[in-house]
Amino acid sequence: MAEVRVEAGARSFSRVLILTGAAILVVVALAALAAPLLSSWGPEEIDANATLAGPGGAHLLGTDTNGMDVWSRLLYAARLDLGVAVSAVALAVVVGTALGLLAGYLGGWLDDVLMRIVDIFQAFPTFILALAVAALLGNGTVNLVITIAAVNAPAYARLVRAEVRSIRELPFVDASITSGASTVGVLWRHVLPNSLTPVRVIAPLNCGWAMLTLAGLSFLGLGVTVPGAEWGAMISLGSPDVVAGRWWTSVPPGLALLVCVLGFSLLGEGLQERADARRRS
Amino acid sequence: MRLLRFVARRLLQVVPVLLGVVVVTFVLVRVLPGDPIRTILGPNATDADAAAARARFGLDKPMWQQFLDYLKGLATGDFGTSIQSGTSVGSELALRVGPTLELVVLSVSLALLIAVVLGVWSARRADRFGDHSVRILALVGNSMPEFWLGLVLILVGYSALGWFPAPSGRVDPDTNLTPLTGADLLDAILTGNGPAFTSALSHLALPVATLAIVVVAPLLRSVRASALEVLRSEAYLAATTHGLRPRTLLRGYLLRPTLVRLPALAALVFGTAIGSTVLIEYVYSWQGFGQWALRGLLYRDYPVVQASVLLIALGYVIVFLIADVVHAVLDPRVRI
Amino acid sequence: MTHLLSIEDLSVLIRRPGRDVAALSGVDLHVDAGEVVGLVGESGGGKSMVARAIVALLPGGARTRGAVRFEGADVLAMDEAALATHRGHGAALCFQNPRGALSPTRTVGRQLTDRLTTHQRMDKAAARETARQLFEAVGIRNPARRLDAYPHELSGGMAQRVMISLATGCAPGLLIADEPTTGLDVTLTREILRQFRHAADTDGRGVLLISHDLASIASVCDRVVVLYAGTVVESGPVAKVLREPAHPYTRALLASVPDVSGRPARAIGGAMPLLPSPPAACPFAPRCAHATERCTAQRPPLTGDGWAYACFHPQTGGGAAAPGAPPPPPRGGAGRGGVGGVGADALPRPGGAPACPPPPPGAAPAAPVTAPPPQRTAAGRVVMEIEDAHVVYGSRFGSGGHHALRGVSLEIRAGETVGVVGESGCGKSTLARLMLGLTAPSSGTVRLDGIDLHAQRGRKLRRLRTRARLVFQDPVGSLSPRRTVADAIGEPLRALGVPAAERAERVAQVLARMNLDPAMLRRHPHELSGGQAQRVGIARALVGDPDLIVFDEPTSALDVTVQAQILDVIAELAGDASRGSVFISHDLATVRGFCDRVVVLYLGRIVEQGPVEEVFGNPRHPYTRALLSSAPSLDGGYTGARVELAKDLEEADAATGCPLAARCPFATDECRAEPQHLTPYGAAEAACWRVPQIPALIREGAHTRA
Repeated sequence: MAEVRVEAGARSFSRVLILTGAAILVVVALAALAAPLLSSWGPEEIDANATLAGPGGAHLLGTDTNGMDVWSRLLYAARLDLGVAVSAVALAVVVGTALGLLAGYLGGWLDDVLMRIVDIFQAFPTFILALAVAALLGNGTVNLVITIAAVNAPAYARLVRAEVRSIRELPFVDASITSGASTVGVLWRHVLPNSLTPVRVIAPLNCGWAMLTLAGLSFLGLGVTVPGAEWGAMISLGSPDVVAGRWWTSVPPGLALLVCVLGFSLLGEGLQERADARRRS
Repeated sequence: MRLLRFVARRLLQVVPVLLGVVVVTFVLVRVLPGDPIRTILGPNATDADAAAARARFGLDKPMWQQFLDYLKGLATGDFGTSIQSGTSVGSELALRVGPTLELVVLSVSLALLIAVVLGVWSARRADRFGDHSVRILALVGNSMPEFWLGLVLILVGYSALGWFPAPSGRVDPDTNLTPLTGADLLDAILTGNGPAFTSALSHLALPVATLAIVVVAPLLRSVRASALEVLRSEAYLAATTHGLRPRTLLRGYLLRPTLVRLPALAALVFGTAIGSTVLIEYVYSWQGFGQWALRGLLYRDYPVVQASVLLIALGYVIVFLIADVVHAVLDPRVRI
Repeated sequence: MTHLLSIEDLSVLIRRPGRDVAALSGVDLHVDAGEVVGLVGESGGGKSMVARAIVALLPGGARTRGAVRFEGADVLAMDEAALATHRGHGAALCFQNPRGALSPTRTVGRQLTDRLTTHQRMDKAAARETARQLFEAVGIRNPARRLDAYPHELSGGMAQRVMISLATGCAPGLLIADEPTTGLDVTLTREILRQFRHAADTDGRGVLLISHDLASIASVCDRVVVLYAGTVVESGPVAKVLREPAHPYTRALLASVPDVSGRPARAIGGAMPLLPSPPAACPFAPRCAHATERCTAQRPPLTGDGWAYACFHPQTGGGAAAPGAPPPPPRGGAGRGGVGGVGADALPRPGGAPACPPPPPGAAPAAPVTAPPPQRTAAGRVVMEIEDAHVVYGSRFGSGGHHALRGVSLEIRAGETVGVVGESGCGKSTLARLMLGLTAPSSGTVRLDGIDLHAQRGRKLRRLRTRARLVFQDPVGSLSPRRTVADAIGEPLRALGVPAAERAERVAQVLARMNLDPAMLRRHPHELSGGQAQRVGIARALVGDPDLIVFDEPTSALDVTVQAQILDVIAELAGDASRGSVFISHDLATVRGFCDRVVVLYLGRIVEQGPVEEVFGNPRHPYTRALLSSAPSLDGGYTGARVELAKDLEEADAATGCPLAARCPFATDECRAEPQHLTPYGAAEAACWRVPQIPALIREGAHTRA
C-alpha cells in the first residue's frame, strides 16, 4: 500500500506552540504572585553589606549596585511587567475596536476623520511614538498603560475597520438588513463577533510587544525608575557592569523578559497557525 | 511617466499628514508639562535669567506667533536653534543622520537577505523539523529585547572574547577619517581610508548584528507565510502538475509571487529598526540620530523635538513610497 | 491492447486525525487515445481525486491501493524523475478555476513558453511562435498581444482558453479537465467544450472530462463514467448511459436536472455520504427505491463489457423522461409526500411518514417536482412595482461607473412567480438588491406594497423591509458564522418585536415546514450541508409571512440532486396565492419549471418578457433565441430555429443603439444607432424591431450556409 506523507504536523505543532506559550505565561504569572514565598528579600530592600555581590550565598542571583537582591526584584518585576502589558493591550483593543467598527461600518466623514488621525499616528514607528508620548506624559504606571495603549489603538482601529468593510459586503449582513434589523443590531450581533477573529490572534503577540516597549522605555529612564522593580529598569541599572564582565545584574532580567515575551509569541503564533488551518479546510 | 505621476500624487497626499504632524508636535510639546529653560538653567537660576533666556529663543511670544516663525523657518530650511546646545539644529542633524542611516540600512538589508533565503527554505520544508526550528528561532528573535541583546553581545564579544572594540564611538579617532556624509563606512570608502574602513566595520559589527537579529524575525515569518501560500496555491500546483523544471518553478512561479508582499513589510520593519536604534545607540554609546533625538525629548528641547519628529515622519513616509513603487514593479496587478 | 490510461481497482483512503475518508473505493476506468471520456457525479463523489491520482498528486495522509497505469507504467510507483516527465508530458491537468491556476506575476505567454521549452524542447523564439499559434487555436483573438498579458487582465472565458493552451502546450498524451466550464455562461461553455473534442479528434489525445453537469458534456463525450461515493456505479457509451441508464443513481442524477424543453426535475431524498471506509454494501442503497436486503448486505460488482454497472437491480427503459414514470400530479399535490431517505437532508415531511423509514412501496423515488404551471389569468394585487429604474454603481473617485440597470419596469402580483434570466453581468442580482431595498435606484421608483421603498427611513423602513425577503445564492455565506440557526431564522421576527416565546414557536413551525430536524436549531452554519443551509435560508425568508420572496440563484451553489430537492421546496412555496415570487437564474431550464412569467435581461435592459410557455415555445428576441439554442440539454432541448451570437459577452460593449448589436447576427446599422423598446408581439413583448423579419432571416441564413 502506497502512502503519502501526512501533513498532520501542522495541527499538532500549533498545539505545541499554544500549550508551551500558555505554560510559560502561567508559570511566570504564578511566580509573580508567589514572589513573597519564593524570596526572603523585599524588592526594594537594601543589603548594605553586599553591593554587587555575586550569585550564591544569601542572594540567589547576587545583588545590584544598590545592594538589592536581583532574584527578588526579578520576581516582583513580573507583576508590574505582566500587569502593565496586559491592561494596556486590553485598553487598546477596546478603544481601537470601537473606533474601527464605527468608522468601517458607518463610513462618511467619521471614517475620514478617524482614519486621518490614524494616519498621523502611523506616520511614526511605534516605539518612537511610545517614546515621545511617554516623555511628554511623564512617569507613572497609569501613564505607561495609557502610553502603550494609545500607541497600539490605531493599529486595532485600522485592522477592525478593514475587517468590517469586507464583512459589510458579505451576504449574511444583507440578510440581516433585509430582515429589518437596526444598524446597532447588525453591528452588535453580526459584524462585531465576526470581525474580532484577527484581533484574537494579534492581541497576544501585541502583549509581548507591549512588554518589550515598557522595558525599553524603562531602560531609557522614561518608564519605571529605580528603585521600582521592572525588568527594563534592572537591565539599565546593570548595563555599566557588563563592560566589566559582571553579568548577573543585567542578564537574568533580560532572560526573564525574553522568556515571558516568547510565551506570548508562541501563543500568538499557535493561534495564527490554527486560524490559518481552519481557513484552509 | 506614470510612475512619476504616481510619486507626485503620493507626495501630495503626504502633505496634510506632515502638516498634521508639525501642528500636533508643536502644540503638544508646549502644552504638556515640562520646561526646557528651567531644565537647562538648573535650579539656581533666577526668574530674570529664565525670562531672558525665554526671550532669546522667542518663547515669550504668543504661541501662534511662534508657530508662524517656525513655519517661516521651515520654508527656508531653517529648523531653529537648539535650546540646549545653542547651535543650529540643521547642522547637528547633518552630523547625526548619516551614521544612523548606515546602521539601519545595513541591518535591514542583511535581515532581508536572511529572511528571503531562510523563509523560502523553511516554507519548502513546511512542518518538518528544519521548518519548525527556523520558526522557533524566528519567534525567539521576535521576543528579544534589543537593548539586552546588545548588552549580551558586548559581554560575549568584547568583555569575554575581546574580538570587538569597546562599545564607545563609531570609528577609531586615530584613523583620521574625514567626515563627508557622516556614514563612516561610506566615508572611508569615498576617501580611500583603509584603516578607517576596518575600524568602522569592527565598530559596526555588533550593533548591526543586534539590529538585524531583532528585525529579521518579522520578515522571516512573513516570507515563510507568503511562500507557503504560493506553494499551496492552485497556480503553483498547476505549474507542478505540468511538470515544469525545479529551477523554472523556483524562479518563475515561487520567488516573485512570494516577494510581492515583502516591500510593504520591509518598510514597516524599517520603521521598527529606527525605533530600535534609539535603544541600540544608547547601549553602544553610538553618537547617532537616535541618541540626539532622545536627549532633545528628555530636555524638552523644542526645536530638536520638532525637527526629529518631522524628519522621522518624512523618512517613514518616503520609505513607504519606495515600498509602493517596488511593489508595483513586482506585482503586475497593482496599478499606479 | 493496452489503454493509454487504465485505472485498476484504485482505492484512496485519506487518513486525517479524527476523520478517515474513503475517497475512492475500487475504481476501474480507462481512457484511450483520441477519445473523450466524461467523469460525472456530484461533489464528494471522488472525481477530483481520480484526476489527482493520475498525476500522482494526492493530499497528505492518502493511502492508495491498486494501480494507475499510464502507457503501461504505474504512476503511483514512479520515482521523482519519471514523474517529472509523466506530469505534463504524459498527463496534463486543466484546472477548474483558471484564474487561480495561472501564476499572477508571470505573463501568460511566459507561462505557456515555460511548458513548451520544458516538454517540447523548443528554443525561446520557436516557443513564442508556437505559443501564438496555440493561443489562436483555442480561440483567443489578438494572440500576439495576449501573450504579454497578465492573468488578471483576462476575462474568465479567456483565462479558461489560456489554461487549455497551457495544458496542450505540454503535448500530453492525456488531457484532464476538472470542471472546465464551472462559472462560465452557457454560450461560452459550448465553445470551451468544443476545444476538448478538438484535442481528441485532431491531436489524437485522450481526454478525461470531469463534470457535475451531464447535459453539457453529453455532446462531446464518447463514453461516460459515473461516480458515486468513490465508486464507479456505471460506465459505458454516452448513448447507453445517458439515454437508457441502468443504475438507479444515474437515473436519479439525470432526472434531477430540469430541461429547457419543459421536462421538470424530479428529486430523490437524501444526500451522498462521505464514507469513512470502503463500502461493504451498495453505497446508494439507502436512497434507492429498488434496494433490497441483498443491496445492503453486499456490494454489487461492476459488471458488463463496454457498458457496465454496479447494481443488482438494473433498470431498463428511457432515462430522464422515462415513459414509465408516474404522471405528474397536480401542483402542491400529495405526490411529493413520499420522498424520503436516510441522507443528511432527508427529514420528515408534512403529511408524510416520519423520519427515515424506507420509502413506502407505492411511492416512486423520483416524484416530479413541478408540473407545468396552471395559466393564471387574473393574478392578485400588485406587491412589487418597479418603474423605469436605473442603477449606476459609481466608482468612488472619478467619473464613469458601472450602469447595472438601464430603465427596467416590472410588476409582480401576489400569487405569481416571475422568472428573471440572463447571463452573468446582465443585472439580475442588482434587480434583486433593488427589490429588497439594498441598492437605491439612481432614478425611477421601487414600490413594495404600494409604498416607495427608498423614501422610507428608520423604523418604518425596517418594518417595510420585512415584507420582502431574499433567498441568497450562497446558502452558507448568507448565514452569520457565529449565530445559531434559531437566531438566523428568528431575526425578522426579532426586528418586528415578536416576543421570544412566540418567536421560538414560529421558528419551530417554519423549520418543520422545511423538513428540518428541530435539533438543527442549535447548530452553526458551518455544521450544515449546502442543502440544509438553503432550507434554513428559505425558512428565514418565510417566517415573517412576507408579500414577496426573491430567490437569487438559490440552487446554483448546490449539487445536482440537492438542487432538485430545493427546487421542490421552492415550487411548493411559489404556488401560494398570498405572495409574489421572483426566481432569478442563469439556468433557463429551472425557470421554465414553475414560473408564470419570464423576463429576459441583457446588459441591464429587459429584452423580452411574457408568459413562460410563450417565451420558451416561441421566442422573439434574437438574444432569447440564442440563450435557448445554447442551453445544454439531454432531451433534445430547444427545438426552434437556432441562433448563435458572434462574440463572448465579455468582449461586447453596449454602445448607443441596441445593446446586443455587437453580437447579434441580424444587426443592421439601424440596430446600432437606435435604442430598442419593448414592443408587444403576440402574448409577449420584445425589444427588437426586426422580430417580424427574423424567422425569414434565419431561413435565409440556413440556406446561404448550406
